Amino acid sequence: MTALLEIKQLSIILQDKVILSELKLTLEQGDILGLVGASGCGKTTLLNAIAGFSKLSKGQISIDGHVLSDGEKTVPAERRQVGMIFQDYALFPHLNVRENIAFGIAKLNKTEQRHRITKLLDILKLNEHEEKYIHQLSGGQQQRVAIARALAPQPKLLLLDEPFSNIDARLRNELMVEIRQLLKQLNTTAIFVTHNKDEVFTFADKMAVMAEGKLLQFDAPSNICSKPNSYQVADFLQLGSWLPCKIDETGVNSILGKLDTKDLQRDITTFAPPALVNLLVKPQQLILTERVTSTHPANAQVEYISVTEQGYHYYLRSIDNKAQHHDLLFNKLSLYSDIELVINQQVAVSIKPHNFLFFR
Amino acid sequence: MIALNSSKTWKLSSYLIALVLMTPVLVMLVQGISGSTQLFVHLWQTVLPTYLLNTLLLGILVIFFALIFGIVSAALIAHTNIAFKKQLRWLLLLPLAMPAYLVAYLYTDLFDYAGPIQRSLRAFFDWQSPSDYWFFDIRTLPGAALMLALVLFPYIYMLTRAAFEQQDQNLIRASRLLGLTTKQSFYKVALPLARPAIAVAVSLVLMETLADFATVQYFAVNTLTTAIYDTWLGYGDLAAANALASVLMLLVLFVVLAEQRSRAGLRHQSTRPNANRELIQLSFVQQVFAGLFCWGLVVLGFILPMALLIAMALQYSDMQQLSLLLLVGTNSLKISVAAATIAVIIALLLGLYQRLHGDKYRQWPQQISSFGYAVPGTVLAMALLSTFGPLDHWLNDIASLAGLTAPGLILSGSLFAIVFALVVRFSAIANGSIISGIKQIPQSIDYAPASLGVKLSVSLAKIHLPILTPTIFIAWLLVFVEAMKELPAVLLLRPFNFETLSSQIYQLISDEMLEQGALGAILIVLFGLLPIVLLNRSKEKL
Repeated sequence: MTALLEIKQLSIILQDKVILSELKLTLEQGDILGLVGASGCGKTTLLNAIAGFSKLSKGQISIDGHVLSDGEKTVPAERRQVGMIFQDYALFPHLNVRENIAFGIAKLNKTEQRHRITKLLDILKLNEHEEKYIHQLSGGQQQRVAIARALAPQPKLLLLDEPFSNIDARLRNELMVEIRQLLKQLNTTAIFVTHNKDEVFTFADKMAVMAEGKLLQFDAPSNICSKPNSYQVADFLQLGSWLPCKIDETGVNSILGKLDTKDLQRDITTFAPPALVNLLVKPQQLILTERVTSTHPANAQVEYISVTEQGYHYYLRSIDNKAQHHDLLFNKLSLYSDIELVINQQVAVSIKPHNFLFFR
Repeated sequence: MIALNSSKTWKLSSYLIALVLMTPVLVMLVQGISGSTQLFVHLWQTVLPTYLLNTLLLGILVIFFALIFGIVSAALIAHTNIAFKKQLRWLLLLPLAMPAYLVAYLYTDLFDYAGPIQRSLRAFFDWQSPSDYWFFDIRTLPGAALMLALVLFPYIYMLTRAAFEQQDQNLIRASRLLGLTTKQSFYKVALPLARPAIAVAVSLVLMETLADFATVQYFAVNTLTTAIYDTWLGYGDLAAANALASVLMLLVLFVVLAEQRSRAGLRHQSTRPNANRELIQLSFVQQVFAGLFCWGLVVLGFILPMALLIAMALQYSDMQQLSLLLLVGTNSLKISVAAATIAVIIALLLGLYQRLHGDKYRQWPQQISSFGYAVPGTVLAMALLSTFGPLDHWLNDIASLAGLTAPGLILSGSLFAIVFALVVRFSAIANGSIISGIKQIPQSIDYAPASLGVKLSVSLAKIHLPILTPTIFIAWLLVFVEAMKELPAVLLLRPFNFETLSSQIYQLISDEMLEQGALGAILIVLFGLLPIVLLNRSKEKL
């Protein structure tokens, strides 16, 4: 079975600036891919390349086995069967809801048009608004129209450019779940771009993290979460905070003590000792001891406090008792706890043994 | 809103100025409409239907031609890969600088029986008399419409092109992804979206057409403007002229309302101007036709008439002409400088009033005074004559009662009337620039001086006016140029033996002797280029 979308060695260079470099990506029918990355990392360019609005410098894009773009030819956008939902929806202000939805299916006969429009209006709960003009609709309704318009021609691939950024936070989650169900129901393959990782976790089956025109990691969101493949990925997705550690012949040492690495699956010998590395620490892997004792001496103090729905959120700064550890100091270790602490309070923190993730 | 000014003097003077500027038009409308029904019946039974019909027909034909010229050129520049696009982009604006009556005269000269084209045709084919061949007659109503459209189409070109370029590029992209080619997207999305802008441009063209006097007069097409002129100067019938002017004014009011309505449709602004849109690729043959079309417009609307003028000037200019030019030029300069200065001062007064005064209706004086742009010069002249005439008589009566020497027609028969007319007519231009300049000043700057304990008068002098200096200059220049070009109002209102550049050129054209005034005509065109250059530069910056 051929993949629905196949991108090979895709590079785009504009005025000597590398926008996308050697990108490789495959999607199966029905996959929903969430594309994240900081602004300017090339996400939108990638969407434009797939849609047919940007020329490739190198590489190839094919859908269903048909090559759409390579270094030489570019199939025009209108013949790609790729749909797109724009950030600001780009609905036609001079047409009403029905005419907007019908725009891409004018070639079908009237009965078929009517049938598809009615179905979409039903699914997206737009029946009452069929004759309204775009400016008469709310933001959420406008987005539904944009979805209906993009789905009407039954595109092979649907692109969504930050589709949820204009929706207010309360409505956003609800809409995401709804749209995901709709796409799954229609078995539509989709790529959506966002800079919000939480949207990917809610919406996507697969996740691609981009930075500076490169694809850093491409996997299921849960895999990326548990096994980020680089410091950049873990840092961009804010999967935890960073604890500096030193690897030497004795093992792995940090200000929070020596780490228990005997069950470690990942081979730390890739880091030639002595090496300085960063340990990815998720808040749930930290143990807080409020009462400082001689067996648990204070090794950190509270730097910053905020209140969240998961209890108090603290940033901890290391207390360096031995001056020789100055390259192991930390100042922003993130910790959630129900225990109420005060600023500058000294605490003892230790790390649960787990499958440690070290990065350079 | 905090700390808005509440000066009573400012308020009073603002309303007073607006009122004074508009009073003559009101007086004329009241007089014209309340004039004897007999007069209207008489006019209706004799000349009015023809005048009206001609005026409407002219308007429709001008719009028809100007739409073709303007929309096609705008589409070619904004949506295709036409060759020499960068040059054509601004060259297509140049015809705006050409007064229609000049083009009309020059082409008549070129194409009529005694003109070089027909002469050479006759010589070549050995035709002896007009009955031997057919040649189009340019001095007709369609001919006049074509002349007007040739110089007015840039309004449509300019606004339509801007509309195309400001459309959200995602709209076109969306339509492409829904299966439409670039060409289909243009017809189904870009063009319909430009409709409000086109409507605004059409009403501007229509207003200019209704105000045109010299072209139709020269072509002997009887429209309302020529009728007003003839009725007043030919028959001295003020009442009838007034009635005709009122009819024309009502037509214009209708256009103004239509324009206001279409402006309301100009809401779709985009944060992502259509800068790198995908262009329609023209084939070679299409390139040739597109190029011929655009260059044809530029050549016919500007380059050819300009070349003819320059040729005339080279052939016929002498010292005597130059000294005459100097004399009438000084006259033009005098009234234009006065009009521009007064209009800008008024615009500042009313513009700042709108911005800084606490009056709930503070935008009214400025809006009322801006209405003058719609009043055709002939109508305005009639309005001033019918207002200032009685005022003059009244002043003279008072003077003789008081035993003083009668001052004569100090209002209606002096430069005062001309300058007044120019100020009324072009206040809108000054207002427009000044208001947009004021809008550039952040609101916080209005409040900052007060928070520092500085009085409004000081902050106006030290902050607002210095910030506005470039705007003031541009506003002044724009009014100055328009005042230099204005013809009908000057023609009807000028004192005996007082000639301006434009009135002199008009006289020479009427006498078929433009050769004598070619230098002056070139000067008028050059002045007309100034605002286009300014306009183009400020547009490019956006």
